Amino acid sequence: MTRQRFIFLTLAPATLVLVTLALVSTGGALWFSVMNRALRSPDSEFVGAYNYLRLLRDKRFFNALEISAIWEVVTVAGTLIVAVLLAVLVHETVKRALWRNLICFAFLAPVLLPRVAAAFIWRFLYSPSLGLANWFAGLFGIGPIEFLADPKIALLSVAVVDIWQWGLFFTVILVKLLETLPQDPIEAAMLDNARTWEIHAFVTLPMLRGPIISLALVKAVESLRSFDLIFVMTGGGPGTATETLDLYAYQSGINLGGRISYASAMSILLLVVTTVAFTFIWRAGKKWSR
Amino acid sequence: MTLKKVLLGTACLTLLPFAAAAGDLASCKGKLPQLNVIGQGMPAVTALDAHLAEFNAKWGTEVKVSLLGENERRAKARLDASTGAGAYQVMYIDEANLAEYVTAGWVYPLADVVPADYDIADFRVDLSNVASSGGVQYFAPFVGGGDVMMYRKDILEAKGLPVPKTLDELVASIKAVNDPANKLYGWSARGQRGSGMNVWRWTPFFRAMGGEWLDGDVPVFNSEAAVKATELYIDLMKNAPPGVGTFNWSDSVEAFRGGQVAFLIESDVFGPWMEDPEKSQVAGKVGYAPPPEPLPSAGWAHGWAVSTVGAKEDCAKTIAGDFVGWATSKEMEQQRLAAGIASDIGRVSTLQSEAYRKAVPQEYIDALLATGPKTNLLIMANPAWPEIGDTLGLALEELFTGTRDDVQGALDEAVFAAEDSLSRVK
Repeated sequence: MTRQRFIFLTLAPATLVLVTLALVSTGGALWFSVMNRALRSPDSEFVGAYNYLRLLRDKRFFNALEISAIWEVVTVAGTLIVAVLLAVLVHETVKRALWRNLICFAFLAPVLLPRVAAAFIWRFLYSPSLGLANWFAGLFGIGPIEFLADPKIALLSVAVVDIWQWGLFFTVILVKLLETLPQDPIEAAMLDNARTWEIHAFVTLPMLRGPIISLALVKAVESLRSFDLIFVMTGGGPGTATETLDLYAYQSGINLGGRISYASAMSILLLVVTTVAFTFIWRAGKKWSR
Repeated sequence: MTLKKVLLGTACLTLLPFAAAAGDLASCKGKLPQLNVIGQGMPAVTALDAHLAEFNAKWGTEVKVSLLGENERRAKARLDASTGAGAYQVMYIDEANLAEYVTAGWVYPLADVVPADYDIADFRVDLSNVASSGGVQYFAPFVGGGDVMMYRKDILEAKGLPVPKTLDELVASIKAVNDPANKLYGWSARGQRGSGMNVWRWTPFFRAMGGEWLDGDVPVFNSEAAVKATELYIDLMKNAPPGVGTFNWSDSVEAFRGGQVAFLIESDVFGPWMEDPEKSQVAGKVGYAPPPEPLPSAGWAHGWAVSTVGAKEDCAKTIAGDFVGWATSKEMEQQRLAAGIASDIGRVSTLQSEAYRKAVPQEYIDALLATGPKTNLLIMANPAWPEIGDTLGLALEELFTGTRDDVQGALDEAVFAAEDSLSRVK
């Protein structure tokens, strides 16, 4: 058996399963999106592009699109900033391997928590009357702050939980990557009297550009799947202040609305938008990492 | 015909249901390996756990109860029935989705599935009415009722205030006792969106102002009455704990139980919750009264029904029907009372029992009896209600949290969306 044949035969079953699953669900969603199927009744009719055209007149859809975009930017940027700053801090201040490993172990804990559990814990922490966050704020004479009920800060409050889970996890990855970097360029910078922040800004982090861009892409994909976190913490509220596209699709299609065709059209548009956006980001990322 | 034959015939007729039941048991035992039940974590549901072995042994089956939150339960049950999946034989139904389920033909009439000796007439009339559509009862209610006003007797006494009898007096009292500096708030209510959340608590205000849902087929809940009700609700929320704009019923009840709130109008089932000394900081300090005039009381009921989609086969229907009968029997209610659960009562015989009188204060029973005549189904009885209620709930939440402040505009948008929902039902 040739090497190429071996690769083909071993990859074929998994590829076939993945392609089948993707095609069936995407095909199903496409089919539903051109019908007027509602969960209330098994009857439906072909309506062509009606659902797509209705979406273009739907203010709540555009709001959800905007919230999804803000959510992506805030959580991806926030996670990377927190991860980079903490990784540098740990790398510079904790020199003993035992302590460093213990810190890394502790930083792994949040991401191991199920999303729903994390959401409930933080919902309680954010409680205006009983939560720890407001107790701390009260010590400084601030508050009570309505973290999840104030439309101006609700999305940011939920994003903090996402960043808490993923930022600490990415910190561990970056700490381990910093440990593996070759020492010569760093020592050369030190000989040139570069300060610590200069070494990281101009030497170590540029050396980690490739992995950081990969982490950003992983996080961007992961942030698209934050339905459970937002659903448990705010349900999309207050009003529509935290209603992302997947939440709106769920509300109108599965939850109380029952307009499964309309929700399918929304899902298809989301698929198209994210595929186009990620194609551009992927290409740009490849260019930057060179 | 001799007297002997008449007596024999009468005896046979009397025993017929039992013979039929014995026949069902013999022919269906072991035929349904698992009975799937979709439910919500109400005390009456979780209390079944302790007794399931008895039912499992009777039918040679295993009852699996899937517990979900209210909105998730509604969504999943609807998905299960509408797609024809039929994973659940027993459905948990409430007042908000009965019209939709009956119109779609997803549930059997209760009398067609429960055992022949089951006492349907013993259900509380207010609950039976909510559980019926077109004069036919579709689910067996185990919890429900109307609204009751709960107030802190100690606070009213300290301030020298009487128990409010009218809405105006209530508003004045709420403002008089509100003292955020000492973490005491006059009022609490549901703010979180949803037909069973903020809309549910807002509706009595809307109806008290003379509001109607429909004028013929046209939705009119953007009327002057609706605007007035919403403005009053928002005004009262200024005297409530922080975050009230997104409070669900649990947040509201816990704020009252935690001693932070002086007045609360909520579903009457929460009365006994206030008297549990282990969980309530206000046990023994709470007074109960009907909602002040002209507020009506929002009637509701939750119960079990048998799914026509999940229980198509005769044996599945028989076992599911027997489960509904068993889970809502007089004996089960007495067992719940013995276990300290006094909130979930569906039967008149239980309300009249000595055990119930011992479990709750007399003042609470008096309030329940006084509220009864004011209790009605206040929501729109229409299959499109879940969607309309959700849209209205969203508009109200936006107003309650300050996302927007044009009351009339928000209600106009909800009505505009409702027109579309109603036309789809037609």
